[in-house]
Amino acid sequence: MLEKYGLRARFALFFALIAVAVPVVIAVAMFLAVQRMGENPVSQLVLFGGLASFALMGVVVWVAQMFDTHVARPIVTVSRDLQTLLHANPDHMIDEGEARYLGILGPTVREASETMRRLRSDIGKEVEAATKSLEDERTRLETVLRDLNEGVIVCDLGHRVLLYNRRAMHALSSGGDLGLSRPIFNVVNRPPFRNTLERLRNRLSSGRYKNHPDYLMAPFVFATRGGKSVLQGKMSLLVDEAEEQPQGYVLTFSDATEQISSLSTRDKLLRNALEDFRGPIANVRTTAEVLEQAQDMPEDLRRSFVTGLAQDAGDLADRIVQLSDDYQAIKTSLWPMSDVNSANVLSCIEQRYRDHPVLRCDVSGEACWMHCDSNTIIELMDHLIRGVPGATGAQTFTLQAELGENRRYLDIVWDGDPMQASEVERLLDEEIENGASVMTGYDVLDHHRSDVWSERIDANRSRLRMPMPDPNTEHSTQVSGALPIRLEFYDFGLLSRTESAGDLGDRRLRDLTYVVFDTETTGLEPSNGDEMISIAGVRIVNNRVLTGECFDRLIDPGRLVPARSTQVHGISNEMVAGQPPVHEILPRFRDYVGDSVLVAHNAAFDLRFIELKEKETGVRFDNPVLDTVLLSAIVHDHTDQHTLDAVAERFNIEIPEEKRHTALGDSLATAQVFLKMVDLLEANGIHTLSEAQAASEKLVQIRRRQAEY
Amino acid sequence: MGEDSQKQSVLVVDDECNIRRAVQYILEHQGFAVDSAADGQEAIAKIQQEPPDLVLLDIKMPNGNGYDVCQSIRSDDGLSHVKILMLSACCKDIAIEKAMALGADGYVTKPFCTADLISTVNRYCAQGDVEHA
Repeated sequence: MLEKYGLRARFALFFALIAVAVPVVIAVAMFLAVQRMGENPVSQLVLFGGLASFALMGVVVWVAQMFDTHVARPIVTVSRDLQTLLHANPDHMIDEGEARYLGILGPTVREASETMRRLRSDIGKEVEAATKSLEDERTRLETVLRDLNEGVIVCDLGHRVLLYNRRAMHALSSGGDLGLSRPIFNVVNRPPFRNTLERLRNRLSSGRYKNHPDYLMAPFVFATRGGKSVLQGKMSLLVDEAEEQPQGYVLTFSDATEQISSLSTRDKLLRNALEDFRGPIANVRTTAEVLEQAQDMPEDLRRSFVTGLAQDAGDLADRIVQLSDDYQAIKTSLWPMSDVNSANVLSCIEQRYRDHPVLRCDVSGEACWMHCDSNTIIELMDHLIRGVPGATGAQTFTLQAELGENRRYLDIVWDGDPMQASEVERLLDEEIENGASVMTGYDVLDHHRSDVWSERIDANRSRLRMPMPDPNTEHSTQVSGALPIRLEFYDFGLLSRTESAGDLGDRRLRDLTYVVFDTETTGLEPSNGDEMISIAGVRIVNNRVLTGECFDRLIDPGRLVPARSTQVHGISNEMVAGQPPVHEILPRFRDYVGDSVLVAHNAAFDLRFIELKEKETGVRFDNPVLDTVLLSAIVHDHTDQHTLDAVAERFNIEIPEEKRHTALGDSLATAQVFLKMVDLLEANGIHTLSEAQAASEKLVQIRRRQAEY
Repeated sequence: MGEDSQKQSVLVVDDECNIRRAVQYILEHQGFAVDSAADGQEAIAKIQQEPPDLVLLDIKMPNGNGYDVCQSIRSDDGLSHVKILMLSACCKDIAIEKAMALGADGYVTKPFCTADLISTVNRYCAQGDVEHA
């Protein structure tokens, strides 16, 4: 009813009401008191005076309530909406229901917010256009980095990782999880890095680098923590523009574990062969010479020499067979090879024949991974294809890969008879062009420990078959193009970030490293036997969510997962069967968390599950913790809706339905919510971790007191 | 000849004179009728003239290597009963797979122990007998 009056009119009405109510109530009270004065005047005055006071108090309380509803609360709500709009969600809408009491303030604020949104959108478009070419460059660089066959890591002088590519992550995985802003020594052994960096810094400071053939680069060998993988790398110093101050270093490397192991086995074989063969060969030689020269040797002596000769020869034969077996067992050749998908090799060859006047090649069948030097294999297959028509008359070929029982094959198939073995050998003896060195087909095959032969497949078809080594690692059947291009594997902003030496609590919220985590459980009561069945975390470094460094594990709870909880998170008994138990997963999660600040939505719930496992797992999380439920209550105190869905909706963060209630999906959503909250907390004067913790604690105290009442 | 015609016949094909003579001597002592050839061409001529029950075939030889001889035996339907044992210093498993793909029945790596060679030859000849029967 009052809404039809303006804000000032309502203000006037409220105070007019008080102004009118006071004399009226006092007058009525005095009138009634005078009427009854005869009986007991003092008590009548006290009675009506008291009644008048209560009536006036009621009027004032009513007016105060109306004032709160019509003025104070709408102003607080609009202020919070404005903060959200300014700092977290540009699309956030002003609550018009609340704002309707504030006269033209509501429409004005809405108009201002729309103008701001439009301006932001215009600026955004301009920025987008201006940075498009930069983004393209960045995407190209990321693609190059992603597809590089070598591992690449960039570190600052404190050995903190600023960039790494997928190859580096895989190559060092035996040492632990590589992570942005984390020390590289989490995954590799320290001494080779420190020594090499020291050498390069000395070279820079002494100026020797100017005449050094390797400039500011030094090759070195290092190992992952635990020594499982040995890597061969090059460290290059990053320097400032004046080439005076080092800034960090770039590390490029490849896994040399197998190569070094092969080389040392080969060395050992050679050493043993030289020592082992020397004795029997000396015996054979001496015995043969004695037998040849001493014609008049007594028969029994001659026989014993012959027996000894046979024994030594047999011994030599056995050792040769053993040596040969051992040599066969060494898989790696020194020729540089990598895991390659057959589809890439065969389609390269197919393309060469697209415009050929006579010959035709088609690729068919399923692709498989193999370990080879694709360049020389492509040239060899091309050379063989060109040789087949002369021997068989075939002009149309099908190229295919086959995953055999024991190995992989590349086949060139045609209609007609097979080639003669000597024809194939003649082709293999010829030199082939590979753009790098002169080599024959046999040289290529030797590098791959392979061979080629021609055989009949059925009555009509024949093929040239070339076995290929197995890939070094398991690959999915997908071709690598399916990998996402944008990866959160680098952040050069870290290079300029200075670590505050002070207490963690004094550091700004946006400068801290966080692990936002969530768990899924069999139920809500850990003290009654409910267990964790999934735990996930995602890192926030330099105010960015690192989606490429997620922790996501299922846990075998050692008990049944109730059907009602499976309905919530979709994790069934079959999914957790055979997964590692909690005492294996929590230590890994502890390593992942490191000294980051923990963040969770309703953190107390998840931490309770973890705390109850402290004894069993021997793992203790004493990191600072922030709870996004409490932070939401701080920055959005006008509402009591602080579920993850409600908060995400306020911040315009979409949680895909299939990800909701998965540990990783909720962690990612909470992480995005948290980043928005950091902006809002700063707008509310909360800048440091200590301040955020103090505000959270104050809220907890208030809620505790409210619960007591 | 009458006695020889009862014997299993073996053709030893190797360009190494010592090995050829030694294997011929050993197998003759075991009661086989043994002939020998020093290269691929000579081997093919002898096989076509008088097909043996088993050919012991070295791989690396002049004038047509062992794989060639193997392929030409297998491409002749009249010689399908001839067993082929490859005899090679190459012990790579791919070499063995290649020999089998081209039609060999077995593979003996050098150096070999004479007792093993004799038992392998006996086994393949016995197989040939069973298939013939």
